[in-house]
Amino acid sequence: MFSQLKARFGSSLAVGILGMIAIWLLGMVILPQLLMVDYSFRPNLFPSEIGGPKDVYSLGNYETLFSNLIHLKIFLKTIWSSVLVTALTLLVSYPIAFYLAKVATPRQAAFCLLLLVIPFWINEILRTFAWYIILAYKGPLNAMLLGLGFIDRPIRFLSGDGGVLIGMVYAYILFMIFPIYNAIESLDSNQVKAARNLGAGWIRTHWRVIIPHAKPGIATGCIMTFMLAAGSYAVPSLLGSPGSRWFTQIIYNWFFEGGDWNQGAAYAFLLLIICIGFIALVMRIFKVGLGDIAK
Amino acid sequence: MDSSVHLDNVVMEFGDFTAIQKTDLKIESGEFFSFLGPSGCGKTTILNMISGFLDPTHGDVKIGGQGMRGVPANKRPTSMIFQNLALFPLMTVAENIEFGLEVRGVSKGERKKASDRLLELVALEGSGTKKVSELSGGQKQRIAIARALAVEPQVLLLDEPLSALDLKLRQHMRIELKEIQRKTGITFIYITHDQGEALTMSDRVAVMSAGKIQQVADPITLYRDPKTAFVASFVGENNGIKGCVTQLNNGIADLDCGVLGHLQGRVQSGVNVGDNATLFIRPEHFRLAAENNMLTIPSAIEEVNFEGSYLTLNANTQAQTSLSIQLGSHQYTDSLVKGAPVSLSYRAEDAVVIGGADHV
Repeated sequence: MFSQLKARFGSSLAVGILGMIAIWLLGMVILPQLLMVDYSFRPNLFPSEIGGPKDVYSLGNYETLFSNLIHLKIFLKTIWSSVLVTALTLLVSYPIAFYLAKVATPRQAAFCLLLLVIPFWINEILRTFAWYIILAYKGPLNAMLLGLGFIDRPIRFLSGDGGVLIGMVYAYILFMIFPIYNAIESLDSNQVKAARNLGAGWIRTHWRVIIPHAKPGIATGCIMTFMLAAGSYAVPSLLGSPGSRWFTQIIYNWFFEGGDWNQGAAYAFLLLIICIGFIALVMRIFKVGLGDIAK
Repeated sequence: MDSSVHLDNVVMEFGDFTAIQKTDLKIESGEFFSFLGPSGCGKTTILNMISGFLDPTHGDVKIGGQGMRGVPANKRPTSMIFQNLALFPLMTVAENIEFGLEVRGVSKGERKKASDRLLELVALEGSGTKKVSELSGGQKQRIAIARALAVEPQVLLLDEPLSALDLKLRQHMRIELKEIQRKTGITFIYITHDQGEALTMSDRVAVMSAGKIQQVADPITLYRDPKTAFVASFVGENNGIKGCVTQLNNGIADLDCGVLGHLQGRVQSGVNVGDNATLFIRPEHFRLAAENNMLTIPSAIEEVNFEGSYLTLNANTQAQTSLSIQLGSHQYTDSLVKGAPVSLSYRAEDAVVIGGADHV
């Protein structure tokens, strides 16, 4: 890479460019992360005790999670709900992605993509808050359902996990649609015709031909959605109820309410590590390789 | 079993565009039938109508006497071999072949038996566990045939399946396809723009142009007795000379061809004295020396090409039209040089007169 840059810009500019990238990577990404790793293994001490005999590395901060049943429960619930969000997003996105890739004319597809993308020009907090209004007890959704006679009294959408699930599916739908759309679009339409021609109904055609082909895209979409959901903060804080706290909120509390950065860092790394482990496990079960995702 | 295909007054329109003009055609049970035409003539549309990917705007497709309107592609007794084969790349060879049976709920053991039998038919025994990507072009071709035959279709549709193969393999596959058709007795409907394929394999050929079937005939009739100027010039090489009919006599028409004088050829019905018409003479029907009862066109050699077993000549006539001539290479002499005058001769019975001078 250096030789290419040198050939193009000369050696002094090449050193400059690479130096800036190095500073950025080192100073903004690697060092802060290392600092957090360091924090996570130390106890939370008064400034006067730092460097003293109590300041030793231990796994204490990591063990906290497993001894605090409430936190552990929220942790597991976060993972489970993220799985649910991922599954729901996949369920909603797959038909849209298929429609865009294989059914819609180029004009229709462009129009739909525009409709999908425009809401994302608005920031996440406002978008989520819009759902807060829609789902409110006296909000328009309840009013509509009442008006149409589907329900006889308003539903408290926002009291359980429902609001959080809906909000997250909406927030991350593009991260699911685009990889799947790309994958399905690269499928030769004759494959679908061939399956139909050999007698396959629509369900089997999808199951045996289209989904296997789209598997890398589905995997990419699921991983992104899962990681975003598990690490989401805005949606659960706005749409969640006290009973549906997200693990990120606990981490936030450790940092900014409890003032215990060490504990917060340990929780954050636990979330990261376990999520990665969980993804690796799921990829193994579904026989998806890292190489497939990189396609 | 009746596996005839009847295009019963079928019309296909896409918006304002008529892809297939009103067509009524019956393809017999067990026939090897080809649709031949340049790209965009509507032959693939016909295939899509038979296979059920399209329903005709008017009329109906009948397979084995059964109307197919509204019957979806996956419920029709047809199977198709795609131009790019469309084998499923993520399945093994055997899974590809067995796919249609799997859909029909055939047990695993029966499926295995069927795929083994089909692999034998296409001479690829023991390749069932291979991946599709491990096969050569010709092998993929055969797997596509085996996969299409596995569902025991009444009608096999072939959409230019040989176009991706090299010449040698293509010629070999022609023979094999014909052989498979003979063994299975299934109706084959073959789409191609390659007249060589259509003529060598087919029992009958429909020549299409611009959504219209120009002529349906067996290959020899098609070549000898083209009904329209399009067929005359599209199937095989042909020289067209325009003229005006002056006389009709015992199936022979006499044309006044201006500076070329009066020329004659066989004529079919529908041509009257005074009509404009085109005289078609195939390159191989020319002789360089006139024999008895031959007509001659004085010309000058423009170009001589030696092609091994035969020679092709281009010659300019007095009417400034260029004629192409094909001779056996034993007829080559040193006198065949550019500028040399030749009396191109032909028999009136070998030439065909087709009404209308506007097509050529």
